Amino acid sequence: MQSAWLSTHLRAARPRVVAALNRAFGDIDLAEDAFQEASLKALKSWRRDELPKDPTAWLIVAGRNAGIDAFRKKRRETPAAPEDLEPVHDGSHPEDDMTVSLDQSVYRDDILRLLFTCCHPVLRRDQQIALALKIVAGLSVDEIARAFLVQPKTMEQRITRAKKRLQAAKLRYEEPDASARAARFSVVANAIYLVFNEGYSASHGEDLIRETLCEEAIRLARLLVRLFPEEPELRGLLALCLIQHSRRSARLTADGEAVTLEQQDRLKWDRTLIAEGTVLLEAALRKATPGPLQVEAAIAATHTRAARYEDTDWAELDRLYRALEIIRPSPVVTLNRAVVIAKLKGPAEALRNLEHLATPLQRYASYYALRASLMHEIGLSNEARLNFERALELSGTDAERRHIERKLASLVPAI
Amino acid sequence: MLFSVLIYASEDFIDAVTPEEHAEIMRHHRAFHEHTKSNKHFAAATKLMSTGTAVTINKESDDYVVTDGPFAETKEQFMGFYLLDCSSLEEAIDAVKLLPLDHGRVEVRPVEYFEGADFKNAERLVIDAS
Repeated sequence: MQSAWLSTHLRAARPRVVAALNRAFGDIDLAEDAFQEASLKALKSWRRDELPKDPTAWLIVAGRNAGIDAFRKKRRETPAAPEDLEPVHDGSHPEDDMTVSLDQSVYRDDILRLLFTCCHPVLRRDQQIALALKIVAGLSVDEIARAFLVQPKTMEQRITRAKKRLQAAKLRYEEPDASARAARFSVVANAIYLVFNEGYSASHGEDLIRETLCEEAIRLARLLVRLFPEEPELRGLLALCLIQHSRRSARLTADGEAVTLEQQDRLKWDRTLIAEGTVLLEAALRKATPGPLQVEAAIAATHTRAARYEDTDWAELDRLYRALEIIRPSPVVTLNRAVVIAKLKGPAEALRNLEHLATPLQRYASYYALRASLMHEIGLSNEARLNFERALELSGTDAERRHIERKLASLVPAI
Repeated sequence: MLFSVLIYASEDFIDAVTPEEHAEIMRHHRAFHEHTKSNKHFAAATKLMSTGTAVTINKESDDYVVTDGPFAETKEQFMGFYLLDCSSLEEAIDAVKLLPLDHGRVEVRPVEYFEGADFKNAERLVIDAS
């Protein structure tokens, strides 16, 4: 079999296999190593015309055997190793035409458990993202390091520390009840959205690897929606990622400059992704249990319904941002809502809404940039310039800086 | 006679293909399109969205119950179908050999009844009469 296709089969099976091995061993590190061993075995023995009937089940058995071997070895070296990890003998050998068919509900529990472990609240956000990408998606340390613009060594340490932190927390995985389950979905969905955003927000990193992050996040979201179609917030997550991703070729110029929603060529938006995102959102909203990701997806979908920026349904956006302020209040949400209020009620009203954000957003470039634009609109030229300068000081990236500079330059005649 | 060409594949696999592999899959589909259009056997092509978008409608006593997800959980999912208007099963099988057959499965099944209509809410779909 061509090795390229083979590695795609391995990539496709990876989340489910690692999840099953994690259940068997109760240790993500060991599960990852065992998957690696199983993959090497597959590379040697699979052929294009003789793929196992169920590659996923094949890899789980091969991985389980590899893990057991590793245990035995370890036990010989360190006699105090746990005794309760006696191998499970199921009589099957990976080379056999084996047909271990795993129940879909077992997969479901395993995947949720694996993702919840990688995205556990004891971990920092950057650790959650790194672990999800490394262990579940199977990106290499080098790739993840490139995405975050850090040295591979730094990323290696970050992942090692995250794993240690999980061990130190002595997580005991208990079967969650309904409300704990809902909380776990929310943790996992948010972490996957962080992965997507890391790729989407043009803050740093190379374009190619950033695109990979978005696609990996979408792949994980698709897997989750496939396993848990009845969870509206997961469909909301996928809808949100797809609709944001639909703008990818419109939101940067050829030189990599960010293009605002207002300036984007809407004909470049990917209508296929928008259609899928929109119908996923509709299906999610039927359950009438709105969550923050569903509301964010609804906001994104509202923009896609406007053929031109001038046609944007600002009243609907105001309702949605108000809902978001209630479900998941944050200064950034209020900041975004102020943009909508400016359209509906004018710049003075929007500025009033921004007043109480001065403290929480005092280091946030977009806060000052928005204030500056609004002040400029009502003729407060000096204040506008001061705010633009403050925004410029705080801007994190070259692209952001150039964007603010262009705005500042366009104000010069007025000031 | 109308034949349906039903395509099944694992969505886990489809989600994992690289852009190059995707291009190779599409090359096969294009060859199928060209062949069946040139001999006028092509009748329709339909690619379905992911099964995650699906809902299933049941009736329980007198109530309609809409459940989320596809009707059945299977290792391979129904991805889409072609309709071919050809004179024999043999011709349909010959055309299907052009499709990407290394992954997933393709089933040929004759159509008993077919009716089309003008689409009013699907302006983005390709409707190519050629």
